Amino acid sequence: MIEPKKFWWMIKKELISLKRHPARLVSILAFPIIMILLFGYGMGGEMTDLPIVVVSQSHGDLTDLTLDTIKSTETYHVVEVIDDLDEGKERVDNAEVKAAIILPSDYDDDSSHQKGVTLYLDSSDQMAAQILESSTQGIFYRLSNMVAAQTSVSTKDADIEPSISHSLNNFKDDISLHINRIYGNIKYIDFLVPAILGMTIMMSCMMGMGATIAGERETGELARLFMTPTSVSTVIGGKIAAKLLIELVRALILIFMAVLLFNVSIKGGFLQTFIVLVIGALCFVGFGIMLSARTQTQEDYAQISLPFSMPMMFVSGVFYPIETMPWILQKLAYIFPLTYLNDAMRGIMLKGQTLGDVWFDLVVLLGFTLLFFIIGVKRFNRDV
Amino acid sequence: MKNAIETKNLTKIYNNNFTAVNSLNLEIPDKTIFGMLGPNGAGKTTTIKMLTCLIQPTSGQAVVGGYDVQKNPDEVRNLLGMVPQQVSLYKDLTVMENSQLCADYYGVPVEERDSRIEDLMELVDIKYAKDKRVGQLSGGQKQKASLVASLVHKPDILFLDEPTIGLDPTTKRTLWDLIRELNDDGHTIILCSHDMHEVDMLCDNVGIINTGNLVAYDTPQGLKDSLLESNKQEFSDALSAISDENEDSVQVSDDFSNLSLKKMSILLKNQDEAIIDSLKRFSDVKSIEIARNGRINLRIDGFDDMAVQNVLNKIISSGGIIKSIYTEEPSLEDVFIKSTSRVSEDDRA
Repeated sequence: MIEPKKFWWMIKKELISLKRHPARLVSILAFPIIMILLFGYGMGGEMTDLPIVVVSQSHGDLTDLTLDTIKSTETYHVVEVIDDLDEGKERVDNAEVKAAIILPSDYDDDSSHQKGVTLYLDSSDQMAAQILESSTQGIFYRLSNMVAAQTSVSTKDADIEPSISHSLNNFKDDISLHINRIYGNIKYIDFLVPAILGMTIMMSCMMGMGATIAGERETGELARLFMTPTSVSTVIGGKIAAKLLIELVRALILIFMAVLLFNVSIKGGFLQTFIVLVIGALCFVGFGIMLSARTQTQEDYAQISLPFSMPMMFVSGVFYPIETMPWILQKLAYIFPLTYLNDAMRGIMLKGQTLGDVWFDLVVLLGFTLLFFIIGVKRFNRDV
Repeated sequence: MKNAIETKNLTKIYNNNFTAVNSLNLEIPDKTIFGMLGPNGAGKTTTIKMLTCLIQPTSGQAVVGGYDVQKNPDEVRNLLGMVPQQVSLYKDLTVMENSQLCADYYGVPVEERDSRIEDLMELVDIKYAKDKRVGQLSGGQKQKASLVASLVHKPDILFLDEPTIGLDPTTKRTLWDLIRELNDDGHTIILCSHDMHEVDMLCDNVGIINTGNLVAYDTPQGLKDSLLESNKQEFSDALSAISDENEDSVQVSDDFSNLSLKKMSILLKNQDEAIIDSLKRFSDVKSIEIARNGRINLRIDGFDDMAVQNVLNKIISSGGIIKSIYTEEPSLEDVFIKSTSRVSEDDRA
């Protein structure tokens, strides 16, 4: 049975500790901000201002239009427009720029049937190369439509010998591709943020429980509590409540920062997102309790929890969709609670689903929570 | 006298088949100070954990304050206070907050709580630091704060685990006075310590635990006397063994008999040749030596209860004025070493 006064002391003690350690408080609050900044800007942001040169060997209206279009595209930062082909290639080879867009001498020639534009690309930077390729394809696709001219673009990888060069002649066909995005235009950051929220909650709950249970076991505070006529569930329950309170404040900061910095959409509403995060936090606090039930020191806890938290972070679809992973990892993903939390978070935040729509994820999470708590409390001993 | 703690065949075997406590039978009388001694790994900590309901015994029975530790753990917990070696209060909370937390965990009525804490703080002289965080206190202050937190529910039985380790001599003495005071107030105190002087001075009874067994139990003086008796017996056994083997071994016998001598050191105010000569001729004095610092170091019969008295009478009758005197007696440390080494040898055998 849980005794409220003793239960409250655990929360009060945590809050007093935080109040008396402003640095710890700042660190707790800064952690989600740093996470969201790191992942948001580091992984989820759009690439813009990639340095390129344009080698223009022709003159005329189409050339001018093309140059204007390239210059006004955010993806590129046109370092210089030159007319020497070798110099353009050399600058890519020397890694001064990421690519050279080469407009041939007959580019403005109306009689020319096929206008062979070349994208000379530094493919060692995979991310930049991909973005430059698709962006350049897009520009010339639009230009070919505008001028109704037959233009082709070929891509050449600068770093690979013999160079891969493929002509993308589809520009000459008037094929229009209509993309109907059922959840709107979702950026990578939109995909990332719900899972970053889940992952941050997972990491801080698991790390925090180690400090609370294993740390206090090591320093003897837990022994003093267990020498009093108090049930294990009161002590553990109080610790969970204290941890949960702090984690929920963190979750709020995370959501707030995600919206503020990255304009992330929360289609399913703030309250539902918050409820899912609370369930997630509860689940990982339970996981922490289960792992710390018998560990004697904080170091032991860190060693034991790492093999769970690290794979969970990479396999549970935080950064890439689970479907793109090898089959063994896909199977593994479904035994980790973080997978279900991520799925529910994306459902609510991206697809605008309700708690009812993601019921399966929530049931699994609550099931895990119950299991962790039962094992944790059963395994927990007063022996300190 | 009623017992505060009684154990019958108390045994703890850990999962790895290690027997930490082996059929321990122990009786600690109510309202006494009991010294629990034993080398590291002897089973003291495991015994305390079982008595404080932190772990379950594998077999046997332990009754604390009339309650069985397995059947009524919460009743037992209410009767116990514990001052661990490592101060286990929350470092970020003040002395007052820590004491309040403990009081609430023991269910002390709210209306009594703060006044009781303040009284205890006065008793242990820590009231001046009541609003200081425990992390900011000195070692001695922390121990005092720990005492307050452990006494807040008025426990009948108080466990003290190395309470004075690492403390300066003055603070140590203050704590010793406090321990006596608490005992006078009716608390039964179980003191675990490696400081033999502390145990000798404070405890009514001492139990020595080794390899999970109680190997000696008596008053400190009783233990020392029994060591003397046992040495005497061993000595006479050895002497007769030698004389049986070789009747001509007078020299060997003489050398061996030196082992039975006790050292006595005296400082006289009026030391002169006449007194020294009279001592040299006195039959109870086996050897005499004048040290550089002026002390007369004698060797007398260690097994003769009257030897010290006789030597003192001799000095006084010769006109000597005694400034200081000490004799080398078996200490509790000797008892400890003998008791624990005997078991270790038995184990090895």
